[in-house]
Amino acid sequence: MQVKSKLLFLSSLILIFVINLFAGSIDPYFYTVIIYIGINIILATSLNLINGYTGQFSLGHAGFMAIGGYLSIALSTYFAPFFQNTFGTGVFGEAITFIIVLLAGGTAAALVGLLVGVPSLRLKGDYLAITTLGFAEIIRVVIQNMDVIGASQGFRGVYIYNNGVKAPQMVQDLGEMSNIFYAVPKFTNFFWTFLFVAIIIYYVHNLINSTYGRGFLSVKDDEIAAESMGINTTKFKVSAFVSGAFFAGIAGVLYGHFNLYLNPEDFNFLKSVEIVVMVILGGMGSMIGVIIAAVLLTILPEFLRSVSEYRMIIYALLLIIMMLTRPQGLFGFKIKRKKL
Amino acid sequence: MRFGGLTCVDKVSTVVENHELVGMIGPNGAGKTTVFNMITGVYDPTEGDIVFNGESIVPYKPYEVSAKGISRTFQNIRLFKSLSVKDNVRVSFIKNIKSKYFSSILQLGKFSREEKEIDKRIDELLEMFDLLHEKDEYASSLPYGDQRKLEIVRALATSPKLLLLDEPAAGMNPTEKVDLMNLIKKIKELFDISILLIEHDMKVVMGVCERIFVLEYGKKIADGKPEEIRNDEKVIQAYLGDTHHI
Ligand SMILES: Nc1ncnc2c1ncn2[C@@H]1O[C@H](COP(=O)(O)OP(=O)(O)O)[C@@H](O)[C@H]1O
Ligand SMILES: [Mg+2]
Repeated sequence: MQVKSKLLFLSSLILIFVINLFAGSIDPYFYTVIIYIGINIILATSLNLINGYTGQFSLGHAGFMAIGGYLSIALSTYFAPFFQNTFGTGVFGEAITFIIVLLAGGTAAALVGLLVGVPSLRLKGDYLAITTLGFAEIIRVVIQNMDVIGASQGFRGVYIYNNGVKAPQMVQDLGEMSNIFYAVPKFTNFFWTFLFVAIIIYYVHNLINSTYGRGFLSVKDDEIAAESMGINTTKFKVSAFVSGAFFAGIAGVLYGHFNLYLNPEDFNFLKSVEIVVMVILGGMGSMIGVIIAAVLLTILPEFLRSVSEYRMIIYALLLIIMMLTRPQGLFGFKIKRKKL
Repeated sequence: MRFGGLTCVDKVSTVVENHELVGMIGPNGAGKTTVFNMITGVYDPTEGDIVFNGESIVPYKPYEVSAKGISRTFQNIRLFKSLSVKDNVRVSFIKNIKSKYFSSILQLGKFSREEKEIDKRIDELLEMFDLLHEKDEYASSLPYGDQRKLEIVRALATSPKLLLLDEPAAGMNPTEKVDLMNLIKKIKELFDISILLIEHDMKVVMGVCERIFVLEYGKKIADGKPEEIRNDEKVIQAYLGDTHHI
């Protein structure tokens, strides 16, 4: 069983590596959709750990994604000369640079997750939904007002002048001075995206199926009973929340280095809702279900481009139909209960 | 213990000795469950002290009380309903395992051996309570009596020194009750623990408990050997007219 999951993980890494070699011949439009599918699987699976398995309702996943995304593209542009001088511009140099910004983005999101999570998760009840909702909006508004990362205009790179001045837009009075524009580097590809898809699946699967990981489900089912059996429920809730935030940060890094442009509006409330919908539609706590829902909800809008303004209405209708016909989610299990 | 203006457990003091099987009886609403909730840290007593192994456990949270070696069952069954029977028991092993968060993900060190050991001990415990054949069912799909037994198994799996059982025989018929009480007595010997058990039906506890104390309206009205309780004036009065006969 354990040997099997390790083998499966390693062989999927090899597969991802091999597919990546042929990625150049994939139609660019399909390639983009495939990358977005991967990013959404990372987002939905990491949120599933919080909302599905641990039963805590987080509504701010886009906020963590924004932190990871913005921090990492700021690093890989403002510090581009440093990275290029230190690690070079070859495949390996870029890989090392990307690993550094990936870890930085994930870690920053995790740390903020800790700050937001600890006070709200210590309380019983749905404080987390309200706190995370507010938190994600605050993050967005803060970014909208931060000129170094382009504020509400968005961020696609940085001008570095000879005299050391750095700015995301051309600086008027330095018009004659020569400058170099460092655009967000296109680091994200099939390999990196699906490397993290494989990692999060392995991570959540192994965790949840271990004895220790069953503690998360016990917290969801009955906090008082879990505490009485020796489970530090706060610790379990916080660790699920923080690792979920970490992977949302990673997803943000991948997104930023694929799109090569971030706008605060990419991380608005609707993005958080979209991820929550994937988790609910997939059946809270069902890994396969949530992955399939992430795939479907990434492809669906592509078919519905002409009616894209109505996307949220369609999501809402989908949810209502779901709740009426399959409340356990598309692929979630149903608990049979004998009458007492 | 007071809830708002209502004093519901008042100056109850008693001692459970090592390896003793003590019964706590009393009419509905006497405050028995509240005593358990105070001991296990679900409620903080508004006054007084609770000492376990020479240490006050009042400041501790429920999971810390569990770490000290006190475990319990719930009168209104609180099993983990989305977990299987064996996983309900598995959760109790978490507080004592070495493989925590990251070693479980990376399956490092003793992980595999520890998981196998836990599987074995779960099977042993379920076997003892005749629940092994249902180990892969969802806990919530078990018959009522088996759910009660599973609550006991789950509590035992935390390796307690003191086990608190809240009406473990509720809803069972008289023969099942007697069987369960005998099983509880056996468990006490086998695991070398102390047990404090709540029971509504006096007849049931008389046979197995070494000592019994009686609560009425939150006050202790008697405390002693079963024979003493049986002949106690106040106890007879409290139970007179009640459907429960001594
Ligand atoms: N959390 C609470 N808030 C208010 N009153 C409570 C609470 N818990 C218990 N009580 C009251 O305390 C009294 C004793 O309850 P309980 O300990 O459950 O009795 P028993 O287990 O002996 O039947 C009851 O009157 C009950 O309503
Ligand atoms: Mg009670």
